[in-house]
Amino acid sequence: MNVMKTCAIVLAALLVVGVSVAQEKYTKDQWQQDLNSYTTQRNDLNTKVKAVTDQITTLTQQSSKLDEDWTKCIDDLYALVGSNRQAADAFRSDIDATENTANELSRLSDADLMARSADVDALAAKTKGLWDNKLSLIPEFYDRLTALNDKVKALQTTLSNQVKIYSVGTWARNRDCLWNISKKPDIYSNAWMWPKIWQGNRDQIKDPDVIHPGQKLKIPQGKELTSDEKSAARKYYARKGK
Amino acid sequence: MRTLNRTVIASCMTLLLSGSLMLVGCSSSPDEAQMKQLNDLKEEVAALQKDMAAKDQQKAGLDKEIAEKNAKLTKCNDDQQVVKQRLAK
Repeated sequence: MNVMKTCAIVLAALLVVGVSVAQEKYTKDQWQQDLNSYTTQRNDLNTKVKAVTDQITTLTQQSSKLDEDWTKCIDDLYALVGSNRQAADAFRSDIDATENTANELSRLSDADLMARSADVDALAAKTKGLWDNKLSLIPEFYDRLTALNDKVKALQTTLSNQVKIYSVGTWARNRDCLWNISKKPDIYSNAWMWPKIWQGNRDQIKDPDVIHPGQKLKIPQGKELTSDEKSAARKYYARKGK
Repeated sequence: MRTLNRTVIASCMTLLLSGSLMLVGCSSSPDEAQMKQLNDLKEEVAALQKDMAAKDQQKAGLDKEIAEKNAKLTKCNDDQQVVKQRLAK
């Protein structure tokens, strides 16, 4: 009986070992299966790669064609305003530089801006000059110039809101009279603008020939006399002429 | 009785051994050349997958580029119309 028992145990053990060895082994059938599977994958991939390569070729051609179309379109656009690409590039650089100046002036304090009011005037003139170029009709430039205009106007508004104060010195030392004050480079650089100071300070100047040391005169903004100022000047000269 | 037992054990052992050997031996394995063939194929598939991924990426880039160029061209044509209108004013 013992013999039979031992026999059965050994039989079972060997059977388990045998089966597990057989299972772990990579069989030729499995190899064939894998080979078929990978062959199918390779063939599918080859087909897909070929298809996508063809698509890439078509897309590359399409992209080149679009480049050509765009180049022609841009040339036609510049030709509409009698210009060309080189001139447009130069115009673009010009706008860049003007925008930089406007940005620089916009960052200044009011006092510093006041000291550079001539630069604001130059900027306004430059912007006007840019508008005179027909390239400004092209939306790219038109939009930028419109924004530039707004900046220039803002700067001019800031300046016009500023009132410069001039402290009158003595005649002996400073030779200060409205004519000479007006002539100063940091005032109007133009002696004939003196009526503007007079009219802007009617509260403290009754007679434009008489100003006093220590008086604080407001210097109104502007490059030209208003009609009121011109009228006041005419009346003054008429009175003097009598 | 003892002799009978030994005979039975010996027979069992022989039977089991031959059975196991048959179990293992019946399922034959691929040879070295066949394994190399399979491995080469796997490598080829892996390379193709990599190539495919790169091409898909290239295609996506081109699609994007073309969409941008189309938009630029449309804008240019629109700009021409705007300029014509402004010139007509």
